Amino acid sequence: MNAITLYFRLIRVAVQSRLQYRADFLTGIIGVIVLNVINVGLIGILVSRFRHLNGWTLWEMVFLYCLWLLGHSVYSFFFWHIRALEDYLVEGTFDQFLIRPASPFVLFIGREVQYLGVADLIFAVSGLSLAYRNLDLQWNGTQWLFFGLAIIAGALIETTLSLMIACLSFWTGRARRASNLLIQINMMVQFYPVDIFGYTFRVIVTGLIPVAFMNYYPALMLLDKLDYSSAWWWLGYMSPIVALLLVGITAGVWHLALRRYSSAGG
Amino acid sequence: MKIFWAFTRQAFHGSTVYRFEFWMRLFFVYMLMYSIYWVWTTLYTQTPGAFGVSLEQMVTYGILGMALEIFLDVGPEWYITTQVRTGAIDTDLMKPLDFHLHMLARSAGEMMFSLGVLALPSFAIGYYLFDLRLPGDMTTSLLFAVSLIFSFFVFFHISFLLGALTVITLDIRSISWAYYSLVSFFSGQIVPLWLFPDLLRKISEVLPFQAIYYIPMSIYIKTLSGGAALQALGVQVFWAIVLVLFSRWAWSRVHARLTIQGG
Repeated sequence: MNAITLYFRLIRVAVQSRLQYRADFLTGIIGVIVLNVINVGLIGILVSRFRHLNGWTLWEMVFLYCLWLLGHSVYSFFFWHIRALEDYLVEGTFDQFLIRPASPFVLFIGREVQYLGVADLIFAVSGLSLAYRNLDLQWNGTQWLFFGLAIIAGALIETTLSLMIACLSFWTGRARRASNLLIQINMMVQFYPVDIFGYTFRVIVTGLIPVAFMNYYPALMLLDKLDYSSAWWWLGYMSPIVALLLVGITAGVWHLALRRYSSAGG
Repeated sequence: MKIFWAFTRQAFHGSTVYRFEFWMRLFFVYMLMYSIYWVWTTLYTQTPGAFGVSLEQMVTYGILGMALEIFLDVGPEWYITTQVRTGAIDTDLMKPLDFHLHMLARSAGEMMFSLGVLALPSFAIGYYLFDLRLPGDMTTSLLFAVSLIFSFFVFFHISFLLGALTVITLDIRSISWAYYSLVSFFSGQIVPLWLFPDLLRKISEVLPFQAIYYIPMSIYIKTLSGGAALQALGVQVFWAIVLVLFSRWAWSRVHARLTIQGG
């Protein structure tokens, strides 16, 4: 069986086991939607009161938030359990992946799904459509294509970053705090356009932990906010390339980590 | 009172182990302060007139919201949920101690611990790195301190009620996201109520959440002073009393239908 068929079969099983808890499913979905409504509500209050935030109007801010959320929804549906890798290692669950005749990576990422991603998806798509209409956007084919690529890139950036951090636990045993840190930095980027922050922060989220490529830079391109006179305008097109680079680096880290692995079970 | 100190001591013993956790928490506080600082500074620079207060007051309000959370939010609901889910709640109920008082003492102990260990460095970060202003005069400081006691009281009881709910639902993880964002929104922790649109402001003013962050923080930056400050304290006292009574009633109802898992 090839890896992709195996992956989808695993995901189907994971979805079925999740669907057993209907009540939890519903409250969870409502909870996440309330959370997003409130987040956007806060942004809405600020921006409608002051008309814009550093040149970003209300619907542009909604677009920025939802672009991040759409990429994130893919990550949170399929890959949320990556941050639980340390538990798999400590409890010895990871050994199961190693003794089966299939790629341990596929077995690991196909292990669980997190249904809350559905709520993020619903909210992000509604938010983006409303923003598209209210901003009178008229995208051409290239922009639609880039939009699609940016979403995939966003999901890949978040997934690879969290996988690299989770891999730390092969060395240190614990990585959850570091992954909470990623969530924190990510949230700042999700809410606010990176250009309101200081220089150091912008360098960090561009070059070191490149979460700004999940929404900020592609949004500049998609909302026609690119300043072509600046030396850095091309960053607006770089998301897919950043994502590919991260995939390459993460693959390397994963292989190093597996070689390093010795079971907790001894 | 003796029970209360016992729990404070216990919190110290339990928490000193996690040194890494300590630095992490402080770093999070730093990041939160950093983002709120830049948001207010950017908005203020572009439209100085729209705030009704000075930039120093606005930044102080924002920074304070992050610094207070670190000790006000002790999360008794998580303790209750864990105890209910694992069935260990029966050991709590067997103690010769009223459960509501027990939780209050435990939470107050944890609050004192965070106040001593985390709040001071957070305030220092706010003061040295982000222009957090000190209240300046004795009256304001005193009113602020009194107001904080009541905000802890109100926050504790709202969380306690959420915790009591888990006895019925057995889990709050899926509700908690919505709960935290609702509290943070209606308490004015991030955006003060006076910047809300009229309708939302009126709604927030009849809800108890404003007693958690908005009132003490407004007293601190002196947008509430003199008679208005005393009136706001009155609102806090009112909600504290209502919530105590309601919590005790709710817990007695819930207690009656408590099922012990695995028991």
